[in-house]
Amino acid sequence: MDIIVCIKQVPDVPNIRLDEHRMTIIREGVEGIINPLDCVALEAAVNLRERQGGRITVLSMGPPQSEEALREALAFGADQAILLTDPAFAGADTLATSHVLATAISMLKPFPDLVICGRQTIDSDTGHVGPQIAEELDLPQVCGVNEIHPQGDSLVVKRLYDGFQDTFRVNTPALLTVSQDLSSPHHIPLGDLERAFSDREIIRWAIKDLNLKPEEVGLGGSATRVWKLRKAASKRRGEIVTGSTQSLVEHVIRKLEALSILDEESGNG
Amino acid sequence: MYLEPSMKQMVIRRTVRKFAEERLSPVAVEMDATGTFPSEIIREMAKLQYFGLEIPAHYGGAGLDAVSYAIVIEEISRSCAAVGLCICVHNSVSANPIYEFGTEGQRKTFLVPMAEGQAIGTFCLTEPNAGSDVSSLGTIAIRDGNGYVLNGNKVFVTNGGMSSVNLIFAVTNTTGKQKRYSVFIVESERKGLEKGPNEELMGMRGNPVCPIALNDCHVPVENRLGGEGQGLKIALSSLVDGRIGIASQALGIAQASLDVSLEYAKERYQFGKPLSEFGAIQNYLVNLVTRVEGARLLTYRSAYLKDQGLAHTKEAAMAKLYASEVAVDVTRVGLQIHGGYGYTKAYPIERYYRDAKACEIYEGTSEIQRLVIARSLGYG
Ligand SMILES: Cc1cc2nc3c(=O)[nH]c(=O)nc-3n(C[C@H](O)[C@H](O)[C@H](O)COP(=O)(O)OP(=O)(O)OC[C@H]3O[C@@H](n4cnc5c(N)ncnc54)[C@H](O)[C@@H]3O)c2cc1C
Ligand SMILES: Cc1cc2nc3c(=O)[nH]c(=O)nc-3n(C[C@H](O)[C@H](O)[C@H](O)COP(=O)(O)OP(=O)(O)OC[C@H]3O[C@@H](n4cnc5c(N)ncnc54)[C@H](O)[C@@H]3O)c2cc1C
Repeated sequence: MDIIVCIKQVPDVPNIRLDEHRMTIIREGVEGIINPLDCVALEAAVNLRERQGGRITVLSMGPPQSEEALREALAFGADQAILLTDPAFAGADTLATSHVLATAISMLKPFPDLVICGRQTIDSDTGHVGPQIAEELDLPQVCGVNEIHPQGDSLVVKRLYDGFQDTFRVNTPALLTVSQDLSSPHHIPLGDLERAFSDREIIRWAIKDLNLKPEEVGLGGSATRVWKLRKAASKRRGEIVTGSTQSLVEHVIRKLEALSILDEESGNG
Repeated sequence: MYLEPSMKQMVIRRTVRKFAEERLSPVAVEMDATGTFPSEIIREMAKLQYFGLEIPAHYGGAGLDAVSYAIVIEEISRSCAAVGLCICVHNSVSANPIYEFGTEGQRKTFLVPMAEGQAIGTFCLTEPNAGSDVSSLGTIAIRDGNGYVLNGNKVFVTNGGMSSVNLIFAVTNTTGKQKRYSVFIVESERKGLEKGPNEELMGMRGNPVCPIALNDCHVPVENRLGGEGQGLKIALSSLVDGRIGIASQALGIAQASLDVSLEYAKERYQFGKPLSEFGAIQNYLVNLVTRVEGARLLTYRSAYLKDQGLAHTKEAAMAKLYASEVAVDVTRVGLQIHGGYGYTKAYPIERYYRDAKACEIYEGTSEIQRLVIARSLGYG
């Protein structure tokens, strides 16, 4: 089974800061990590390859330093890594991002049996990219899957949605986006990291390798523009109360009941 | 001059930190309380190649550079210093010397299982009457046909309680003015090797440190590491690199102490404001942060010099001396910042304090590091 896993390098989460003037995420001096759900996708791919055989290709569109994320993915178990990087790709919205990724996937020979993405990223969180790639490549898609079972030429996949467990059968080639429950990514052996950084190749494709025009990619290929960006005021406000222990406990219980966190009936249970 | 870790080294740090926080931090308290080293931790770390950090891949190791090695030890020790000590000693003064000085046969027989984490290694130099003064070594190896007979007592053997492969330093000449040392690879199951009970340590309690006695222990000549009389050279060169490891350990403990102390100073309110708002506490923290960064630079630089194949005896001694003293200071002052709570087992700082102290003692006390540095300045 030939599997593509799309990975995005994102800033390590507690450190995300926004530049309100340039309306971008500040990436300088912030460590980049593989979007956590993309590691879940990779783990799923490694498990599928174990059962079915085949090859895993990791694909990322990003600045040159995204090489780090791709090499980590090689250490994680990917067979091949492709970095889509070109100054022209900068400023892409989700549509332009998906277009570049879909174009790269369509150029792979043989065409993959399965494309796996994270359901969403921790830095922009739109959840658009997977579905848009599927639309552009005309692939069946299931989003947010938490189980994947290969069955002949198709896959039986499950997802939790609105409190229901949905089960689908999809024919391959297909695109899946994955949720956290699917798998927990394994720890990487140190020797695999060493080799990924010293011995392995990263394939680099720029705009000309994809036969794309500047107006199809980056800012030019984007259907949206960020108009205004400001930090939302935090709505969390503390309240300081004083008094005897007994009155404080009663106060807290009343508060929790008012918020329906504590149920009045169970108060003395 | 470029003083940043490489892309690979950053990913290694993240990878090890994630493993250590998920798997080692949760067992650190129990290891300290019970003085036990969980065997499943060894199995897991073996699979992830922590037991052959700098050993090339074709002998089963991870093939890392020395700076990466330092980062690995730092990050493990940040979560659990007793495991950091195990990995550090096993790699730097047990597996590495077998790789460096061993024959192809010794590498296959001993190194491969060590690098794969199937056999844990030790370094047995210290004796009851020979600590700082290595020239007083009393363990004797007498030539006997195709081998040697070893007699003597080793103490303070890190990893001793769980080791399979032991590097024993012994005197191989009984005549002549100058003692000549040799090193022997002695398997734990070999007749005549006996382990004593684990020491009740102040810190690093998860590590089974014990004495090893050799009573008419027959060792074949194939188990001699390096030539006869090469022992001192092997000991000293192993200890130079070992010190990079101890410096990294100290750094990891210091960083852990700093992390919890910075946090505590923000959370604890007295006189209506957090401790971090008091000038005295800020001063403490600023000094500690600065010194930890200094220790980090010295440590990484000594490892970097090793990677470049340059002399680093003095630098490793300076890193070990400075980082271990910084670790003791950070934990001592960090405990002070925690007040009475720091003196209880409800907070980890008292464990860090006890763990840190060992770094000033083993692989050459601070006084001995000062001697090494003084010698490099041309003082006798
Ligand atoms: C402040 C700000 C506001 C923005 N607002 C908008 C907006 O309103 N509309 C809009 O269209 N764009 C917007 N963008 C741009 C958008 O964040 C980028 O296009 C981004 O690269 C893709 O969106 P995402 O991270 O939300 O991906 P998601 O759709 O959440 O990602 C899902 C999965 O797709 C894959 N994937 C995503 N990106 C890549 C990649 N570069 N390479 C490989 N795989 C990838 C991964 O598998 C990932 O897990 C905004 C950006 C910023 C900084
Ligand atoms: C937890 C732990 C693990 C250990 N693991 C190992 C191990 O795996 N393998 C191993 O071989 N050893 C190990 N050791 C032993 C350690 O290396 C020795 O304890 C150390 O070298 C000091 O020797 P000593 O204890 O005999 O002290 P001594 O040498 O008796 O020193 C006592 C004091 O005198 C000072 N001193 C001694 N000589 C001088 C001098 N010339 N000038 C100034 N001051 C001096 C010392 O610095 C020290 O402060 C371990 C020790 C501990 C605590």
